Amino acid sequence: MLRFAQGFVPVGRTARAGRGERAIASLVAAAAFALAGSAALAAPPRGGAANIAMIGEPQTLDPMASTADLVGTIMLHVYEQLYTFDANWNVTPMLAESMPAISNGGLVYTIPLRKGVKFHNGHEMTADDVLASLKRWMDTAPRGKALAKEVKSIEAKGPNAIVITLNRAYAPLLAHLALPNGFAAIMAKDSIATPLTQFIGTGPYMFKERKPDQYVQLVRFDGYAARSEPASGYAGKREALLDELRFIPVPNANTRVEGSLSGQYHFADVLPVESYARLESAANVKPLLTAPFGFPYLVLNTKQGPLANVALRQAVQASLNDADMLGAGFGDPKFYSADANHYAKNTPFYSTAGTEHYGKGDAKKAAALVAAAKYDGTPIKILTSQQYDFHYRIALVMAENLKAAGLKTDMQVVDWSTLIQRRNDPALWDIYITHSAVLPEPTLTPPQLGDGAPGWWSSPAKDAALAAFNAESDAKKRGALWGNIQSVVYTEVPYIRVGNFNSVTARSSKLDGYVAMPWPFFWNTGLQK
Amino acid sequence: MTRYLASRFAGMVVVMLLVATLVFFITRLAPGDPAAVMLGEQATAADIAQLRASYGLDQPLPVQFAYWLKELARGNLGQSIFLQRPVTQALLERAEPTLYLTLFSIVIAALIGVPCGIASAVWRGRAIDQAFSGFAMLGASIPSFWFGLILMQIFAVALGWFPVAGYGDPGVPLADRLHHLVLPAIVLGVVNSALILRFTRASMLDVLGEDHIRTARAKGASEARVILHHALRSALIPVLTVVALTFALLVGGAIVTETVFGLPGIGNLVVSAVLRRDYPVIQGALLVIAALYVLINLATDLLYLVVDPRVSY
Repeated sequence: MLRFAQGFVPVGRTARAGRGERAIASLVAAAAFALAGSAALAAPPRGGAANIAMIGEPQTLDPMASTADLVGTIMLHVYEQLYTFDANWNVTPMLAESMPAISNGGLVYTIPLRKGVKFHNGHEMTADDVLASLKRWMDTAPRGKALAKEVKSIEAKGPNAIVITLNRAYAPLLAHLALPNGFAAIMAKDSIATPLTQFIGTGPYMFKERKPDQYVQLVRFDGYAARSEPASGYAGKREALLDELRFIPVPNANTRVEGSLSGQYHFADVLPVESYARLESAANVKPLLTAPFGFPYLVLNTKQGPLANVALRQAVQASLNDADMLGAGFGDPKFYSADANHYAKNTPFYSTAGTEHYGKGDAKKAAALVAAAKYDGTPIKILTSQQYDFHYRIALVMAENLKAAGLKTDMQVVDWSTLIQRRNDPALWDIYITHSAVLPEPTLTPPQLGDGAPGWWSSPAKDAALAAFNAESDAKKRGALWGNIQSVVYTEVPYIRVGNFNSVTARSSKLDGYVAMPWPFFWNTGLQK
Repeated sequence: MTRYLASRFAGMVVVMLLVATLVFFITRLAPGDPAAVMLGEQATAADIAQLRASYGLDQPLPVQFAYWLKELARGNLGQSIFLQRPVTQALLERAEPTLYLTLFSIVIAALIGVPCGIASAVWRGRAIDQAFSGFAMLGASIPSFWFGLILMQIFAVALGWFPVAGYGDPGVPLADRLHHLVLPAIVLGVVNSALILRFTRASMLDVLGEDHIRTARAKGASEARVILHHALRSALIPVLTVVALTFALLVGGAIVTETVFGLPGIGNLVVSAVLRRDYPVIQGALLVIAALYVLINLATDLLYLVVDPRVSY
């Protein structure tokens, strides 16, 4: 889900690159956007082709195979899920006819399917297609496999319904099915293969051509069966007003800026924050600031090495000045916020539990904790990459904070590809730096909240807090239960969430009806002549 | 001549085998993993291991190398892990922009470098020599990404004469695609003209001091004939070498310019492949670039026969 600017580095991006859900903290703003978008929906003209500058070449076009946001952003125009998110991040039906009937104490979900929905090959969607798609997702996709542990069985109930039976009550199920990242895409059964060679979905756009490093070309699907509800976020009525979408890999962030200013690109994703003022002063471009976009975080090795000692992890946390690290990473405070709470005030998951431990750079306190932890002087191996320059800059400040607390450091700067390989070996690192997006369902990220992710955090307190949270379906109670998890994170320090950062994108003033959401989408969007 | 050619080709085979071995092992021994890059941030170690196995990356290196060599002998460069197409096809798709960009750049570089180099040599020490030497210094020092962005801002953003980046919309005619190459070709042409200018100047200065030039002048040949016919022809051999080497370098080495201008060229392909650890693409592309380099060197040596009658093999 890494999708932030990668500066000058050409990646398909690889990295990869993380789109996130930047916006749960800006629910009110998102709703306002959606209202504005709805009002504008009458206006956008039909026809034309939009050039959309992306951060690189997608790793794959299989929407299940990769959790890179680049892949999800493109393919959510081609494939749809059973459920999606509206402008307020509520789970809302898409290919499902309605919300599921939940029975047997939250263990059985019966999901009715819409009738008359056509795939791009002209076949009508049935429960067989949905079943085959979800099975593929749970068998092969990283996100699907994570969910599969909770699922006892999945079966068709006639041609227009499926039944998912869980091993235990698991409230985040529908959020998993709705997330457009490594997503549970519904595919035509006869197109399913590994690797995927045909991209046959039900979305408003069909796949036409991929020319690596040039474009991925999607064209309008005239047989699209739209929902009747008003558009809201990713939910409701979708209409392909543009004839064609061209997702163009433009790895150089400055080129994306210049291309926007020249009018060559109608939308440019993830731009350098330094370009904001220039974009703002241009007449033909509208810069969009998404706050918050994501969060940088430090993963600590709880399995091996000096930081396997929780007391030393607490010392590390106390030593860090998170605001300084954000300042080094993102410059102008307009583009970051030093938030101790993991979710913003206007969200259901806002909590101050544990936030007294948020790093203020207290070297004296940290030094005392270091001494109490009986630190033996083993250098702390910091693994970082310059592929995301803010990672590197944050690491530099972190290393100084650690030294001030009496800890020795060993900075290892590698390329991103090397980092994501080395982090799987607990002998090679003590802290690594990465970032994620802010997701609407807290357990979806960071992966350290699950099992087996690098860092290998495992504890009875974690298990108890997560079990209570996942079993609770009442939204209000879940908010308080998330506070318990946040508190355990601050106490056991498996990862340190540094704060939030914002992102800049730009759209042409000719692009009409565009609604800003974390993963950009271009249905209901037209292009003025 | 036949014997010369046979020995050169035999040498080429040895060089290519060495390149193949080095490229394979250096690529594989570098840290990093294509499966981890492809699967993304949320993938577990088990997911990564499973994908590695599906591409045969879990096999011992000698087994993978033997398999690759076997396929290479059949003319198969392998299948890209990320692009889901054969490496040969990926290279052919990039051949057009790379070839045109290289040709345009080298023509621009030669058109600037050779005349300026001649003028610098003829008017050695004068203001024009100082000016061209300064230009050469500037051309060699200027970062191509910066120069590219400046040209982009002036000619694409402000004036709108050229597109900012890319290689044209789907299905556009060749002329439109070539229009996208003008700015990057100017960048590469100017940057590379510096070397050609310096070589031309040095070579001309050497030749202008030789006896046959004095003889030509003594026989009453015009100064233009002396310089352009007698001197330039003799001075061309080193210039030809540097032009040919620049051409060979540009085929895979215009990486920064291709990245800034978003061109789907071979250099861009190699860099993306390295960052993603797309082993088959790295190996195939580097092998092809090395082969081109060797062939261009051979062609240059053969061209000497045409340019300089004194040369024989």
